[in-house]
Amino acid sequence: MKSRITRQVPGRGLGLPGLARAGALTALALVSACKEPPTTRRMPDSAAASRGLALIDKVGCGACHEIPGLDWPKGRLGPSLAGFDDVGLIAGHLPNRPGTLAAFIRNAPAVKPGSTMPPMPLTEEQAADIAAYLYGIDND
Amino acid sequence: MIDALWGWPPPVLDPAGPYSERVTILAWVLLAMALVVTLIVVIALWIAVKGPDSLKRKLGGEKTVWIGGIAFPGVVLSVLLVWGLMMTGSLSEPITGKEMRIRVVGEMWWFRVQYLDNQGRVVMDGANEIHIPTNVPVVLELTSADVIHSFWVPHLSGKKDMIPGRVTLLRIEADRPGVFGGVCAEYCGGPHALMGFVTVAHEPEEWKQWAVQRNIALGEAIEPFGSVDVAGALPVVDDDVPPRIPPTPIVGEAARGRALFMSVGCAACHRVAGTEANGLAGPDLTHVGSRRTLGAGILPNHLGTMMGWIGDSQAIKPGIRMPSYDRLPAEDIAAMAMWLEQQK
Amino acid sequence: MNSETGFDPALYDRFPTEKQPDEDVEELNRIWAAPKGWGLLTAVNNNYIGFWYVATSFLFFLLAGILALGMRVQLAAPMQEFLPQDTYNQFFTMHGTVMMFLFAVPAVEAIGVMLLPQMLAARDLPFPRLSAYAFWAYFVGGLAFFCSLFVGLAPDGGWFMYPPLTSETYSPGLNADFWLLGIGFIEISAIAGAVEIIVGVLRTRAPNMTLDRMPMFAWAMLVFAVMIVLAFPAVILCTMLLEIERAFNWPFFDPTRGGDPMLWQHLFWFFGHPEVYIIFLPAAGLMSVMVTSIARTELIGYRLNVLALVATGFISFGVWAHHMFATDMPAVSTGYFSAASMAVSLPAGIQVFCWIATLASGKVQSTTPAHFVIGSIVTFTMGGLTGVMVGLVPFDLQVHDTYFIVAHLHYVLIGGMVFPMFAAFYTWAPMTSSKALSDKLGKWIFWLMFTGMHVTFLPMHLTGFMGMPRRVYTYLPGRGFDVLNLTSTIGSFILGAGILLFLFDLARNFRFSTEESAGNVYRGGTLEWLPSGLYSTRSIPVVHSRQPLWDNPNICDEVEEGRYFLPNAPTGTRETLITSPIRAEPQYVQLMPGPSPWPLAAAVFTAGFFLSLTVQAYMFGIFCGVIAVFSVLRWLWETDRPLPDKKEVDIGGGIMVPVAITGPKGHGWWALNVLMVVLGMIAFMAVFAYLYLYGINPEVWIDPPSLGETALIVGANGVALACTWIGRWILKRRAGGYAHDAPWVFQAIAAVILAGSLYLDMTGWQDIGLRPTESGMGAIVFMLMVLQGQVVIISLIMAAYLGFREARGLLTTPTNVTMDIVARFIAYSAIQGTALTLLPRLFLGG
Repeated sequence: MKSRITRQVPGRGLGLPGLARAGALTALALVSACKEPPTTRRMPDSAAASRGLALIDKVGCGACHEIPGLDWPKGRLGPSLAGFDDVGLIAGHLPNRPGTLAAFIRNAPAVKPGSTMPPMPLTEEQAADIAAYLYGIDND
Repeated sequence: MIDALWGWPPPVLDPAGPYSERVTILAWVLLAMALVVTLIVVIALWIAVKGPDSLKRKLGGEKTVWIGGIAFPGVVLSVLLVWGLMMTGSLSEPITGKEMRIRVVGEMWWFRVQYLDNQGRVVMDGANEIHIPTNVPVVLELTSADVIHSFWVPHLSGKKDMIPGRVTLLRIEADRPGVFGGVCAEYCGGPHALMGFVTVAHEPEEWKQWAVQRNIALGEAIEPFGSVDVAGALPVVDDDVPPRIPPTPIVGEAARGRALFMSVGCAACHRVAGTEANGLAGPDLTHVGSRRTLGAGILPNHLGTMMGWIGDSQAIKPGIRMPSYDRLPAEDIAAMAMWLEQQK
Repeated sequence: MNSETGFDPALYDRFPTEKQPDEDVEELNRIWAAPKGWGLLTAVNNNYIGFWYVATSFLFFLLAGILALGMRVQLAAPMQEFLPQDTYNQFFTMHGTVMMFLFAVPAVEAIGVMLLPQMLAARDLPFPRLSAYAFWAYFVGGLAFFCSLFVGLAPDGGWFMYPPLTSETYSPGLNADFWLLGIGFIEISAIAGAVEIIVGVLRTRAPNMTLDRMPMFAWAMLVFAVMIVLAFPAVILCTMLLEIERAFNWPFFDPTRGGDPMLWQHLFWFFGHPEVYIIFLPAAGLMSVMVTSIARTELIGYRLNVLALVATGFISFGVWAHHMFATDMPAVSTGYFSAASMAVSLPAGIQVFCWIATLASGKVQSTTPAHFVIGSIVTFTMGGLTGVMVGLVPFDLQVHDTYFIVAHLHYVLIGGMVFPMFAAFYTWAPMTSSKALSDKLGKWIFWLMFTGMHVTFLPMHLTGFMGMPRRVYTYLPGRGFDVLNLTSTIGSFILGAGILLFLFDLARNFRFSTEESAGNVYRGGTLEWLPSGLYSTRSIPVVHSRQPLWDNPNICDEVEEGRYFLPNAPTGTRETLITSPIRAEPQYVQLMPGPSPWPLAAAVFTAGFFLSLTVQAYMFGIFCGVIAVFSVLRWLWETDRPLPDKKEVDIGGGIMVPVAITGPKGHGWWALNVLMVVLGMIAFMAVFAYLYLYGINPEVWIDPPSLGETALIVGANGVALACTWIGRWILKRRAGGYAHDAPWVFQAIAAVILAGSLYLDMTGWQDIGLRPTESGMGAIVFMLMVLQGQVVIISLIMAAYLGFREARGLLTTPTNVTMDIVARFIAYSAIQGTALTLLPRLFLGG
């Protein structure tokens, strides 16, 4: 199966000032604090999540994925990770659980043979932090 | 890795070489001078507005102008000027011809790096990454292929413009190993903001190894960076070169990636020595797998970012000459990225 | 007893004279009345033009400020997408360009147009229609230029427009053309204003207001206008060169064909650095005047201050290359420019300490202007100090083109120009509004602006040290800039809030009025606070000191009762008193033109001409150009008409002076001289460009055409020169009678000969194979001819105009201003033509 990238018209107009990841995180924390979380949602560990975002930034996950809270880059080779925690299966294949996700982030081809996502230069703890961030993304 | 290059302490005040070090001392003195004079003016204003009458009377005459506006700045400025001129002189020592030579060409929006031997012949091509040995004076021959750019590694030296039709010279020297960020400092249109590079200073032995490996891998016969009459600190290639590294066998996906690289159009703009890819418009990718950054100093370089870059470079650095290869399936991009990452 | 013009100073003792009849005021009111309704647009009086001018420049300040806020939002955090890359690049280019060309220079010029006649007690500036033209050209051209932003065609090459980035290859769109033609056009307006101000300051001062008694603002405006006249030609020339390179492919800046991109930088900064002082000096003049009224005492060190103004103007022409330290100039050059950059800060220091000493010697009132003035001194000093820092080459090479420079220039410009301007708004608004601005609100506005300014720009010094370059639409995360940039953004909104509050104050309190004014709220001592109407003051007082209102408490009443010069309108038309340049002795009465739609039409069609060229609608452009020229001639048509029945009039106290004169005493003679200096500077800059390109790329130089041909051209120009003189001589010989055709025909012959010799020059170079598109030499040699072509075309138009005037019997004998101007202009053309022909044909040829 060959996956194709769908090219969207790049956002050229005036967007809203996405005030940085710090702002996004704060907003996230506030929103999730006010709201009764649905039972299916895993409550993120906020320290891990903010470490995770910093790592995402540093490693450059954005080169392929659009990730909420990350202003740049917003690569379109891989799927957008907005609303990630609502996705039932990782890569349409694996159960969406933190441990599995961390392992997938670190070495996707080992977890799901044939995945085009390459292994990432991350330790297990770092991958877990990134997974924590991805679960914290609230897209509702 | 990249983020450690900037921030605190500010690179301008954190010299890593003899040229920037002198400027740092000057910067501190100038900052102190500015602070003192600002204080003097603020205090004088306070006296003029709210001060006691006795002080006001002393201040309120033409003598104030002669002292504060003419004599004091005259002396301070003269001293600074003499110091500045002497420093300018010492920073622009004449070229002896024994320095290491590297040509850096500003292009929209990346840096072509060419290591030269002492005859000015190109020994090796690179891009966006400059490797120098510590404690060796290096003369950079700067020019531009299109518009005016400016070369700046604040840790090592002040900036120098890269002007089409001219070659400007800049001396740099690092006195400690490290990775130092650099940027284009002259507005050059479009994604000027995302035009950077890194300078890597190695211990001389380590640098020698680095250079020799590449030179052999290139299969070039020229000895790098001068042969006999080069300053003592300069490494010279001699008989005890490390054993030649056997080329990695290209198999499986990487082999497919290599074939794709040649067929989908990459080779028209990029050169990979030892292959039929011979394009000169874009950065030389001969050793791309060993570079620290992608996209001219803006992304870390690994398989994942390489894929993202090939697949959608326009989303990462809008406006650049390289198109997004978004019509290729991800598997093909992965294969090409895999092959490129093997080009150490 | 000494005198400049033979005027006996003892005559001043006749004033104040008797009280004059009140009917004369009615007469003045009738003569100076402004047109009603839409007709107001044809008004030329400085009370209106000056106010519109200030208002328009303030509008551009707001617009450019909004662009700045947009940029600050984009830079609040790394890698945002508030402004896409190309929009941001247009924003920062427009912010710089609009602030420099559409706000700062016009704003100070506008304040000059508004205040100078009042401060000098002149009825109006000497060329009211020229002011009107300058204003309308700026208004129409500026707005059209700004609107390019809304269609995405705004320039995006930076306000400095360095080629090759701005050349056709790398900027193929119309964006750069908007800059080149738009700015080229607005420069014409700035120069028109400068001509006006030079002649106004030197020739329309109140009697006995010697140079030593001029308000400091008048001194500053004089230096300002002279600097414009000398500096703007450089940018006019370089915009022409680049536009011609873009449109016709003449390689001035293309290194592959013997051009050089650095030529642009030399020409641009030869203008660009004086530009900074052009903006600062008038504001410094305002500061000196305001400091005096804030401290209620004479300015300390008046003469030192004058010296400082003149020295600043002088030295500022020798510092341009300090913008180019990073271009690998020889150490000798950088040393010189570094020294000059240090030196230029001395006069600024003198002024700062003059102000401090003045404040200390008086009693400072805690008013809004006082707040802004003191805030300005602090801020400007800090900017000046960072200026000294970057004057040292090794340090400059580190911080050049980083946010350190952004901080430096905003400290200098906001501290040196914007704060003084707000102080001036509060000080002089009562002069032109029926209600003063709120002093209480003003202090709030000051503290918001002052705080905002420092919160925005102080962190930028550090941002620069951290390695953040200028002109970046974004920056990468994790470089340590994030917090500093966010702070700057917050600061910029505090600054913006201050300006918003000022708009509120304006809306609540400012009521423009020419009839009533809120009066001398801050008790200034200079003449603009005399009671006045559209005709300015009822009578023009004799000035005995620098603060006449303080020294003679009765002066307001005396002026109002008509007890000084020109208490009425002796000629029955608009007029003002022309005085001598140094001692301001009354010389003659100048007749002034009244309202006219033609300056407005000329401005609109000049704007149409330039905009059509920009969008390459050449036919429509030519159409607009012809109408613009016609409009100019039409407005001139009504001028220069001496009153046959009145050769001399009584200007009060029984003193008789002539009405309208020609020759070196006339104000028109002075204006033409200024114009010739402008043209001469353009030619001089072109000569520099020629020599520079030769120095860089001598290999593209070829041997010139034969010496015989050169001699022929020079000979023809000599004949043309002689013809202009013969024409005037014949006119003089016919004194008392009719002019007949010979005088103007000789001028026409001269103009035609000049056209012919230019044609010879051009074909001569073509015959030996020189082509403008092929080499740097071809481009610059043909450029010299283009410049000569311009003055020849103007000469031809002038000669034809002279013919028309003769046909209508307007060519009075033995001399008249029109003849004088035409003959001298054509003579200038002949001399310029000779110089520009000889340069490439003799000097360094081959």
